[in-house]
Amino acid sequence: MRFRPGERVAVLGENPDGNPRTPPYLRGRTATVSKCHGVVVNPLDHREPYPPLYTITFVLDNGDEITADIHEEWLQPAR
Amino acid sequence: MDGSTAPSGHDLAGLVHAIESDLDYFRLKRFEPRVFQLVRRGAISFSDLVGREGTPGRRPLGTSGGTSGVTSGGASRGASGGASAGDLEDRVRVLQDRLDAYILGIAAMSLPGRTLSLVVEDVRKERGDYDEFLRFTKPARGGGLHERVGRVEAELADAELVLDAVTEALVRRGEVDEGSVEARRTELSELGHRNGARIVARAWSDPVFKQRLLETGREALRDMDVPTGRLGRLAVAEDTEEVHNVVVCTLCSCYPHDVLGDPPWWYRSDEYKRRIVADPRATLADMFDLVVPPSRKIQVHDSTSDLRWMVLPRRPEGTEGWDEDRLAALVTSECLVGAAEPRPGT
Repeated sequence: MRFRPGERVAVLGENPDGNPRTPPYLRGRTATVSKCHGVVVNPLDHREPYPPLYTITFVLDNGDEITADIHEEWLQPAR
Repeated sequence: MDGSTAPSGHDLAGLVHAIESDLDYFRLKRFEPRVFQLVRRGAISFSDLVGREGTPGRRPLGTSGGTSGVTSGGASRGASGGASAGDLEDRVRVLQDRLDAYILGIAAMSLPGRTLSLVVEDVRKERGDYDEFLRFTKPARGGGLHERVGRVEAELADAELVLDAVTEALVRRGEVDEGSVEARRTELSELGHRNGARIVARAWSDPVFKQRLLETGREALRDMDVPTGRLGRLAVAEDTEEVHNVVVCTLCSCYPHDVLGDPPWWYRSDEYKRRIVADPRATLADMFDLVVPPSRKIQVHDSTSDLRWMVLPRRPEGTEGWDEDRLAALVTSECLVGAAEPRPGT
């Protein structure tokens, strides 16, 4: 696991491996890691497991939040 | 099932879109792969399904008045002729009921142990990245609302015809008996969001269960005879005085439907997906008349397929001493995604 809870991460703009499961509106935004789930085995949805999964939290202007569950290959440390 | 707060009136186009996508999904992914499987395993043959006028027991579809439990029962309520604007909403309601019956019919005719629970829904599979064979071509959509409703009526009538033929072939060949298909249909129709309500009521009543539910998701459900399902992990977001949780899936419409049944229809609507992540507070107020106090943070969970979220609402005041059945009756499918709060007396 590359990231830990509390770390700031940035969602990449695109993904070379083609894993499509990152909502477009979150791409390029920064967030805080809330939870690390490890590799989720989910054979009914995809044959090969994706990289480790993180719940990351985005804060909106008014303080409300969006969480999304994003695979590691889509994330990099926020600068 | 729809609460009075569901925005059913002002988004007919969204509802039609949801019906179109559901029909595609269930026909292409839940039904037709099973038919191939049944044929390959010798349970039925394609010749069972064609040219059967006059076969004993066969009724022409479109005239059957629900005389038998075997058919999906929808064809008799087929397209009505008149198409004035006022009718459109009625036609869409009828479509919803027919689609529900169709979906239930697919599950009811599935033979336990004989058909895999074959789900081909991954985006990459649909693109054919794994195997060209699995690629789906969905019917083209578009046009005016009348045109779309007419088209989906015709498509659904076709789909019902095939489902009825397959179900009857299974009965005729002795693979299933009518009684068990009907019993299964009844059983299935009583599952769905009632499971979610039961889970919530148990969590309100049993702190140990609640803790297990929050920590382990599906694992906790084995205790209560709820099918635990296998679609990724079940994530449970607990409402508190400080946080109100809402669930959406902006990419598709991921939902723990293997446990909870169908989400409210608008869960699949583009309007909901777009607005709830842009301005959750205003969207809850506008679309659902749900005003969250300023002191309470809203947290929107954008579901992906690996984690599928449900909301554990706050137990309403005035329900002290209620048993689980009484509590469960307060929990609607809207509550399970955070678009409504359970209230005693509604």
